[in-house]
Amino acid sequence: MTTAVTTPAYGETGGRTAVAARGRQVVKAYGAGETRVVALDHVDVDIARGQFTAIMGPSGSGKSTLMHCLAGLDTVTSGQIFLDDTEITGLKDKKLTQLRRDRVGFIFQAFNLLPTLNALENITLPMDIAGRKPDAAWLNRVVETVGLAERLGHRPTQLSGGQQQRVAVARALAARPEIIFGDEPTGNLDSRAGAEVLGFLRRSVDELGQTIVMVTHDPVAASYADRVLYLADGRIVDEMLRPTAEAVLDRMKDFDARGRTS
Amino acid sequence: MTVFRTSLRNFFAHKGRMALSAVAVLLSVAFVSGTLVFTDTMNTTFDKLFATSAADVTVSPKGAEATEAPATGRPETLPADLVDEVGSVEGVKSAEGAVSSMSVTVVNSENKNMGSTTGAPTIAANWTENELKSMEIASGHAPRGPTEVMVDADTADKHNLKMGDELRTIAVTGDFTAKISGIADFKVTNPGAAVVFYDTATAQRELLGKEGLFTQVLVVADAGVSDEALKKNLASALEQPYKLQTAKEAADAGREEVGSFLDVMKYAMLGFAGIAFLVGIFLIVNTFSMLVAQRTREIGLMRAIGSSRKQVNRSVLIEAVLLGLVGSIAGVAAGVGLAVGLMRMMSAVGMNLSTDDLTVKWTTPVVGMVLGIVVTTLAAYIPARRAGKVSPMAALRDSGMPTDAKAGWIRGGTGLVLTAAGAAALVAATQAGKASEGSMFLGLGVVLSLIGFVVIGPLLAGGVVRVISALVLRMFGPVGRMAERNALRNPRRTGATGAALMIGLALVACLSVVGSSMVASATEELDKSVGADFIVQSATMGPIVPQAQQALKKTPGLEHVTEYKGVDAKITAPDGTTEDLQLAAADPTYAQDLRRETVAGELSAAYGKDAISVGSDYADRRGVKVGDTIEVDFKNGRPAELKVAAITSDDTNVDKGAMYLNITTAARYIPAEKMPENMIMFAKAVDGQEKEAYTALKKSLAEYPQYKVQNQTDFKQDLKDQIGQLLNIVYGLLALAIIVAVLGVVNTLALSVVERTREIGLMRAIGLSRRQLRRMIRLESVVIALFGALLGLGLGMGWGTSAQKLLALEGLGVLDIPWPTIITVFVGSAFVGLFAALVPAFRAGRMNVLNAIATE
Repeated sequence: MTTAVTTPAYGETGGRTAVAARGRQVVKAYGAGETRVVALDHVDVDIARGQFTAIMGPSGSGKSTLMHCLAGLDTVTSGQIFLDDTEITGLKDKKLTQLRRDRVGFIFQAFNLLPTLNALENITLPMDIAGRKPDAAWLNRVVETVGLAERLGHRPTQLSGGQQQRVAVARALAARPEIIFGDEPTGNLDSRAGAEVLGFLRRSVDELGQTIVMVTHDPVAASYADRVLYLADGRIVDEMLRPTAEAVLDRMKDFDARGRTS
Repeated sequence: MTVFRTSLRNFFAHKGRMALSAVAVLLSVAFVSGTLVFTDTMNTTFDKLFATSAADVTVSPKGAEATEAPATGRPETLPADLVDEVGSVEGVKSAEGAVSSMSVTVVNSENKNMGSTTGAPTIAANWTENELKSMEIASGHAPRGPTEVMVDADTADKHNLKMGDELRTIAVTGDFTAKISGIADFKVTNPGAAVVFYDTATAQRELLGKEGLFTQVLVVADAGVSDEALKKNLASALEQPYKLQTAKEAADAGREEVGSFLDVMKYAMLGFAGIAFLVGIFLIVNTFSMLVAQRTREIGLMRAIGSSRKQVNRSVLIEAVLLGLVGSIAGVAAGVGLAVGLMRMMSAVGMNLSTDDLTVKWTTPVVGMVLGIVVTTLAAYIPARRAGKVSPMAALRDSGMPTDAKAGWIRGGTGLVLTAAGAAALVAATQAGKASEGSMFLGLGVVLSLIGFVVIGPLLAGGVVRVISALVLRMFGPVGRMAERNALRNPRRTGATGAALMIGLALVACLSVVGSSMVASATEELDKSVGADFIVQSATMGPIVPQAQQALKKTPGLEHVTEYKGVDAKITAPDGTTEDLQLAAADPTYAQDLRRETVAGELSAAYGKDAISVGSDYADRRGVKVGDTIEVDFKNGRPAELKVAAITSDDTNVDKGAMYLNITTAARYIPAEKMPENMIMFAKAVDGQEKEAYTALKKSLAEYPQYKVQNQTDFKQDLKDQIGQLLNIVYGLLALAIIVAVLGVVNTLALSVVERTREIGLMRAIGLSRRQLRRMIRLESVVIALFGALLGLGLGMGWGTSAQKLLALEGLGVLDIPWPTIITVFVGSAFVGLFAALVPAFRAGRMNVLNAIATE
């Protein structure tokens, strides 16, 4: 199985397609000739709107590369990527930057916040950069949701790791992006703080209708998603809907075993 | 050994980050070694010139000066029969009479001065065998008869002179014109003098006024007779006492004279190199601080696995030594290049220095390298110590960067105390009763306030940067705000970077205040005291020849013309004390040309027969009153007893301390041929005819281009130009320090960009455009530059004002702050900030977003 193209299950009224992001025959290769390494090998993928999608796979499987390409952070060697119905492959840096600023949210594993800005300033940064005024009511709701009302004036160094990631989540949500990409957002957190952050992500999908794509190698984190895509050697090899941590773990063990025998 | 290897690897791993520090060391070392090479080369050039041109023994009149033209415009002479007398002395192979004068001006047929514009003399001489040692005839032939002249090739080239062209020689004894019969080339480097030759009779007649006179006898020794032995023979054989100089003595005397000038130049330039070094220190401190901060975890690891503090400390210092070494080696090489460049530049203004004489003494590279390495290592010492203090725990902590400790209370306290002490010393300087004691306070105040500002710079950075940002950055929205935060996040770094710029700009501001106060004060004084409409003097400070005086006096439309001579004399006061002074012998109209206040008596009375006036300082010092008699022993003349008729106030800048007497009084005691020529002349136009008289004056002196005819406006402008020129030279030399400071800004930004790689990646990922990113870095740079400029200009204006208040004692009565200059510098530094950010901003913009945010 090299594709993860699903029929739209969550169609919305109002013009927007049910697919938030699409990849078609995406190839990402590094180097040339004998040293050529293919990180993504003709991947087709659809990210459904209003869903929480997890991308899993062993180290070097291309999962982060896929996310970076979908998010417009990295360029592809060939193939096409669409955000909603905008093709982003081939866009110039200026357009890509605008697109990231206005339509995409990010949560990284670490170093999500600018140390010189306080929590609130970090949250509103993308809008500040764009020169837009944040929607006060929405901002309040986001801040409430992630439980940071008390800490808005704090600098990142004055916050715990979990709090910092919650600020990052709030920032990603505050600008109301079409899609949020998370690169192991809980990778640096202990299980309790991690559960908190994942809980917020889940709630933002359920309550706010947010679309989220998250790269992870933690089965527990993946179990918060609606759908899990498995990558190996640059291809999508499997898919699981409504996963549980045990099921994910079993599936991974399966891949591992297969990988060893093949 | 491992420590050394680690340092070496670190050094090469971070060579990019060290590059600008190395350039700073390079520039400073290059300036030092360039100065040394240049002045050594000049010395070599002059040594060669003097050594080749001097005869074995030179006989000159007792009082003759070797390199200075006498005030009379007439060289001291020797009788012609002395040549034969010398020729018959034992050990003399040959003796040759020489005529030479430096009191001449040579002009071409268009009345253009052929002399050097760099201050080198014009020399007119007879063509002798001795000249062949240093010159050779390139074309034509040696001058024969009264209508022929030979000119040196450099002058001929510069003014496009050809064989047959007419040259007019203007001497005190008169003008005469001759045609070029030959052109002679220097065999050694000619440092810029214009030289013309005539045959002996013509030279005697036209330069000395009479045939049968020489100015020197050049003696060649017999084979086997040393110069010293020959000199001894001559001394005992000649009856009258003459000045005898061996070739070596002549060369030494010449060298001494030139050498002292070169020394002044050398130490002035080394002083500016020192300032550049000082500024470079800030850059190096910043670089190492940042390297240590970036390497905190690594250092923690080293400590955790057992490195001692000393080893960590030493490893940083070794890197500093390596940096110093690389920078200095390149600097010494660049210095030689700089010296060659300077020599080319001197050639362009008429001083031909040959690169064949390029002199690199072994001390030059040694001095350059030692300075470079010592300064670099000293600068790295504080960061190295901080590195030593990194705890092993740092290896385990995740927060890669330790937030640089807030500039502590101790720092603030020390800085405040130093600044306050500096301010107090500056105030004390303004209150001083005597310039000498005040200048000590001023120096102390400058040094203390500078150190104080450097120390509290990081504390001031907070406030000042916020104010500047409020005025300049806020309009740029969030990008401006982030730039402000970035500038504020490490006050020590911003402070040090700004302080480096502050030093150079403080000096600029101080000098501009003093310079423009000088102009303003002098202008005010001139307006108050000068009554003459026109001032005539030589551009090269030589005396005014009689034929020019006649032309001046014949000009129509002048109410009066005033002659003015400086007359040397030994003065004995009634109390018996004696002093060697120069008196001002002038026409009585001088009292109108230059109004002076008197404290006693009437100035006009001083121009009476056998009368004189003295300055109030002298009068107080010697207890002289009006009516007293002082003894005046005129040099080259007879002693006289003159009555003090007036005492002038010395509360002035013009003619301070001058003693006035009538020229006719001086002429009674000084024989006519020994009377100095006029140094300067004044003229007053008939009322209402100023314009016409000015044009007429210029016209009548057109044949004598060596003299400037100035009305009061010209004179003031000239003064302003001279001070402006001097300031420009100093600014030019300070440019080095400012360039190093700008490199410091570039360095800080470049290293900050590296340090903030991940932050920049993050911002780019969440939508900061390249343009916004570049603008953010540029704005940070502008803020740092403006911070340095504000501190520097403020400090410099403080210094300048104190200096003016102190110098008010010496007549610098008017404070004039040159706001246009100050504002230009301030605005200019904003542009310097933009410029400094060019490369760092470009590199930040090119940074790969993914690499920047990738977690390992």
